[in-house]
Amino acid sequence: MTNSIGEIRNADFLFVIGSNTSEAHPIIAMEMKRAVRRGATMVVADPRKIWMSTIAEKHLQLKPGCDVWLLNAMAHVICEEGLVDETFVAENTEGFEAVRETVKRYSPEAAEEHTGISAEDIRWVARKYATTEKAGIYYTLGITEHTHGTDNVYALANLVLMTGHLGKPSSGMNPLRGQNNVQGANDAGATPIFLPGYQRVDDPEVHARYEEAWGTTFPSEPGLNLNVMMKEVGKSIKGLFVMGEDVVLSEPNCMELEKGMNAAEFVVVQDAFLNETCRFADVVFPASVFAEKEGVFTNSERRVQRVRKAVEPPGEAREDWRILIALANASGADWSFDTAADVYDELVRDADKFSGISHARLDATVELPKTGLQWPCPTPDHPGTTFLHEEGILRGKGLFQAVDYRPPAELPDETYGLLLSTGRTLYHYNCATQTRRESGLDAKQSEAWVEIHPRDAKKRGIEDRDLVEISTRRGSVRVRALYSRQVQPRCIWMPLHFFEARANVITNDAGDPVTDTAEYKVCAAEVRKVEEGEARDGLFPGTFYGVDAPA
Amino acid sequence: MIERGEPDQPKRPARSIQVDGRQMPFQAGETILEVAQRAGAEIPTLCHDPRLEPAGACRTCLVEVEGQRRLLPACKTPAQDGAEVRTETERIDRHRKTLFALYLTDHPQDIEVAERGAPNELLEMAARYEAPRDWGFMESLRDNRDGDRNPYIHFNADTCISCARCTRYCEEVEGVSAITLAGRGAETTIATVDGLSLMDTTCEMCGGCVDVCPTGAMGEKMPLTREAKPERELTKVRSTCNFCGVGCQLDLNVDPDANDGRGQVVKVTSPPAGTTTNDGNLCVKGRFAYDFIHHEERITSPLVRNDAGELVPTSWENALSVAAAGLQGVSERHGPNGLGFVSSSRCTMEENYLVQKLSRAVFKTNNIHQCAAT
Repeated sequence: MTNSIGEIRNADFLFVIGSNTSEAHPIIAMEMKRAVRRGATMVVADPRKIWMSTIAEKHLQLKPGCDVWLLNAMAHVICEEGLVDETFVAENTEGFEAVRETVKRYSPEAAEEHTGISAEDIRWVARKYATTEKAGIYYTLGITEHTHGTDNVYALANLVLMTGHLGKPSSGMNPLRGQNNVQGANDAGATPIFLPGYQRVDDPEVHARYEEAWGTTFPSEPGLNLNVMMKEVGKSIKGLFVMGEDVVLSEPNCMELEKGMNAAEFVVVQDAFLNETCRFADVVFPASVFAEKEGVFTNSERRVQRVRKAVEPPGEAREDWRILIALANASGADWSFDTAADVYDELVRDADKFSGISHARLDATVELPKTGLQWPCPTPDHPGTTFLHEEGILRGKGLFQAVDYRPPAELPDETYGLLLSTGRTLYHYNCATQTRRESGLDAKQSEAWVEIHPRDAKKRGIEDRDLVEISTRRGSVRVRALYSRQVQPRCIWMPLHFFEARANVITNDAGDPVTDTAEYKVCAAEVRKVEEGEARDGLFPGTFYGVDAPA
Repeated sequence: MIERGEPDQPKRPARSIQVDGRQMPFQAGETILEVAQRAGAEIPTLCHDPRLEPAGACRTCLVEVEGQRRLLPACKTPAQDGAEVRTETERIDRHRKTLFALYLTDHPQDIEVAERGAPNELLEMAARYEAPRDWGFMESLRDNRDGDRNPYIHFNADTCISCARCTRYCEEVEGVSAITLAGRGAETTIATVDGLSLMDTTCEMCGGCVDVCPTGAMGEKMPLTREAKPERELTKVRSTCNFCGVGCQLDLNVDPDANDGRGQVVKVTSPPAGTTTNDGNLCVKGRFAYDFIHHEERITSPLVRNDAGELVPTSWENALSVAAAGLQGVSERHGPNGLGFVSSSRCTMEENYLVQKLSRAVFKTNNIHQCAAT
């Protein structure tokens, strides 16, 4: 996020795209609700009716995968009507002319045909966004989990740059992070390209510095991205170490991955629960959960905050960091860290974005009251950074990237006539290793379902609550059908949380050419009835969904 | 404080009021309560919450304003230039004693009964201001909504004081309006549409009603049914929620003696409003999903796969040497890039650092990625 969560409530215009905020980021949704209550205008762009669309000024219910059409058409309006912040563009950016040329081809009228959103609405939203001072964009996986995910992000960034909505409070580009520490994991260098602090592993200076710091040699060519790595399991990847992730459940097209896991020679899993991936493990380390260890998480707004040990792990389970040290030392290393703070100190020694932050300093912020510190924070007396790009854009000049629409990798056809999207719900969390074990949450949502428009359902002889089979070119799963007018006709939607109905058996693993992020949000699917049936009590996914459903 | 920026407002000339003789400048729109709290005055409040629009419902925050005949609710009265406010006078003290004594007439006075889990602010205030406790007693007439099958939120009508913090939070902050005030006079209670279970309403189980309730009338079910120790006997450990990327701060309420001395997370509460990014708010997962910590299906010993293909318990020493030898074997047979390391965006920054160092420095491969990469 270029802004902070605290700034949301003072925004005057919120453009929420590809984010089911009230379910996936409920606390950020509360801040947005507060902004709307204060009088801010919110526009939601989402193929489904979601809770946030009920309080939005406009809901742009676009067809899945057409984001570039919508965003380029908005840019078209901004250019055409002279709403570009020419001063900001001249002083802070480069490459704008290519974008101006490209978006000429994306008139709102043409966009209406592709996206299903009226040209008038596109014009209205573009004008409102460009002319409101405190206008922020909020997006999540609905933007990125496409084969054109990077294009979507560029198209959004173009809007931000051409209107100068950057480096100011409540006005910027804000991807909402899905996991507690996805920011911190990247910051710490758990990526094939970057060492800690986004320092490229193939930069000779950086690489030499780390070889010296670690007192050892290691390769400087970048490794494999996760999506590629998973496709290579059993092929070039013969040994796998997996910490705190159920890859077999969460990777797309996971039956292929299962074949690879069977062909792998050695698999180590480190987790608090016996997850699906443990079926393939040769060794399982019993790990700890957040309440049992010390350390830091870094949230969406780059805020580094402390995690504190409240209870002891059960049985012989250990803190993950202790296990990793023991494994390194069993493998011939000589690591000596006594505490998590020691590890943190080594981490920041060579990564100056975070080097002003320490466990001790974070602990001192608890009483102020204040909570954590936002990087960049290079020195112990630096106050941290609330919003980025205040004194000019960090990379020097903001780079425009002209992008053209590319269709999703797989669209409905004669055999698979429906478009399947997957997503998350309020009551469960990702693979639901934790939340399916909560009696209360499971009482609310105990069974997987697919939302299907009554018109599509009736065509296939499916009644509300029937057991159905969803199939794609990759496999099939069985779930309850839920009549829903939240989805558009010819689109269906299912949650990904349920191991007995693994959405990722059927999702498409085609990846974005830049990031390799898979297209979880669009693939072609067909649904057929398996049996009539009574749903168990907990199927109700939330009353909101019932509002429009037939009795 | 959390940096929030400011809404755009027209600039106005400086203004001030006097609070207990102290001159205090204020911004347009601020209430007497906000200015007085900045001046360090202690004004008791029950229905007030900085996240909510002022209601002036509980009458505990009444103060004297020079020239006004009646006492005024500090929470709802805008500060006006030149006003002289007094927060501690004989008249105010008399008012507070009377008010708390009246509240106590249909409120259980035994702390064991009245304090079901969370601290009861009304009883604390009544004690602090030495309210008389002999003004008689009548049964509470409020409807209880017993039998609500929702798993998390319990409503105890006996200790409800109709301050409407819960219903206002539900409407103004969470925005779902699942609960509402119903009935009139002494029968006023907290109700749902048609008396439905919260499970079947628009409720999203954020538990904000539990958090804001000053008397514990809105309580958390699980600690109650499990007969956990009351909140004041628990140790609070401030930590960061482990679900989504918002990074809400929460307090793990730990019973250190439970669970054979390993400690047990008995409930989760949120820090006071205004002090953290989440502004004292939590969602259903942050506030209520803590049972996984002590779940019986946790792995409690290292496991290795035996010749029969089953995962069986083993010692740490053996598990570590089998794992190290296995990974090294792959590396020897297929080269370092025959190995892949998947790290976790759910684990700490320190742990992610160690996995990438393990991958690079020990096993000589850059095939390391955290799990949220796809």
